[in-house]
Amino acid sequence: MFDLKKYRKKSPWILHYNAGSCNGCDIEILASLAPKYDLERFGVINTGNPKQSDIFLVTGPVTYRSRERLVELYTQMPEPKVVIAVGSCSCTGGVFRDMVNVEDGVDRYIPVDVYVAGCATSPELIIDGVVKALEILEQKTKEMEKPLKLFREATLENSIVNRRHTALKVGEKDEEN
Amino acid sequence: MKQTINIPLGSQHIALLEPVRFKFECENEKIIGVDSDVGFVHRGIERACTTKFKFDSIGYVVARVCGLCAITHSLSYTVAIEKLLGGEISKKAKYLRILLLELDRIHSHMLCLSHTCENAGFEAMFMRIMGDRELVMEIQELLTGNRVQFDYISIGGVNRDLNSTVALKIKENLYEVKQRVLGYMDEFTNNWSLSLKFKGIGALSLDDAYIFNAIGPLARASGLNIDVRNEIDYLPFDEVGFLMQTHSDGDINARNLVRLNEILNSILMCENIINGLPEGEIFTKIKGKPNGEAIVRFEAPRGELMYYVKGNGTAMLDRVRIKTPTFASIPAFSHIFVGQDYADAPAILASFDPCLSCTAK
Repeated sequence: MFDLKKYRKKSPWILHYNAGSCNGCDIEILASLAPKYDLERFGVINTGNPKQSDIFLVTGPVTYRSRERLVELYTQMPEPKVVIAVGSCSCTGGVFRDMVNVEDGVDRYIPVDVYVAGCATSPELIIDGVVKALEILEQKTKEMEKPLKLFREATLENSIVNRRHTALKVGEKDEEN
Repeated sequence: MKQTINIPLGSQHIALLEPVRFKFECENEKIIGVDSDVGFVHRGIERACTTKFKFDSIGYVVARVCGLCAITHSLSYTVAIEKLLGGEISKKAKYLRILLLELDRIHSHMLCLSHTCENAGFEAMFMRIMGDRELVMEIQELLTGNRVQFDYISIGGVNRDLNSTVALKIKENLYEVKQRVLGYMDEFTNNWSLSLKFKGIGALSLDDAYIFNAIGPLARASGLNIDVRNEIDYLPFDEVGFLMQTHSDGDINARNLVRLNEILNSILMCENIINGLPEGEIFTKIKGKPNGEAIVRFEAPRGELMYYVKGNGTAMLDRVRIKTPTFASIPAFSHIFVGQDYADAPAILASFDPCLSCTAK
């Protein structure tokens, strides 16, 4: 039988979303997929479809109009999933912090697992971030296999179920505002 | 009765680097109407330039408007401030500015060509061009210290000098890039499967290019010879061997060939600069606070970039207005899409080389 859990780590698929970045980090992501740095040797492929992706690469300091799509893309991705914030401005807001239309970083809206710093970040750092994300992905896969009622509580910190509810709550609060 | 169907492209799509939404109104396979929405990346940089930052740091802030043409943004702003302050920079600094401007143009055009190939379904060509683009990125890193956001230009000159080992490396790599680009010229003109995707698709006639105010490689591919490098005198482009590149067809293939020819011309200019680099200081200190108005135009990789700067004698500016190339070309974009197949839309879109983070700021 085809074992999805075993092969997920061998070929994680990437979803890339630009939430208001300057293109600098986006072209570095493209460069890291290209021959010199070759992220694809880890089995990574860039997909445009959130429903087939395992790793979510976000660039940019979430703008007012892109935040709704960011949360929507995150909730559409199947469990387990890992979020990587690429670039200084997606980690903290960077140079765009406190500008009129900027929401100061990705982690205000969705939980982030790996932060990749730098303005613009370099392909080496992106590769390090993805490798780190693969470890977290494996950990999350193992955690998903544990029976929920026997071994852990639904409100446990860092558990996947808890995280999903956090993301949904952020979206709901946002609509009220 | 006519039956039309609306197909959205974006805001998140595999063919797009950045969020933009197009709504195509299609009749069977043909596109008959286009509606575009470009405001997803609006961050409010123009306002922050007048409220949050002082005038001497804005040069590094406006570089973050766009990562692909960062150098043109900071250069335009810096030249505008130098006009207001009335300082004269050394000839060596001017030459080094042109050098980085042209290196940036080479890597931006190569990215656009590879992206067009990818969207037309030619993945191998995408990988080839992206692999060769690293040669240019390497020398940019050697020259400035960073691969994308350079922060190379400061008010009064440039931040780093060019030493002889770096100059030698630049010449070696550019020679290599030149050989590769000549190979692409052959591929783009003679490859049969690429010609099916590129020749005669997405054509813009000379009259339409004039009416819809197209600029940059889009206009030059239609035969309209406008290039800001030919019209300005802030930097000595005519001394380093600038030549206008035009084509008459106006389709995707013509745009690709114009870009390839511009890369060759830029390589020639870079070689001329390195061979004839004048002696002198790279930085002259300019004192004072900007007062008055200045307008500066430069040729970004996508077309004319215009900066309007108004100062009032204090450290905070009154107004910074940025008019970007993609914004001026949107009417032409919308016109080209009408009458094309929907399947060709991603390749046509990539061949415009749109930069939405420039447009929305």
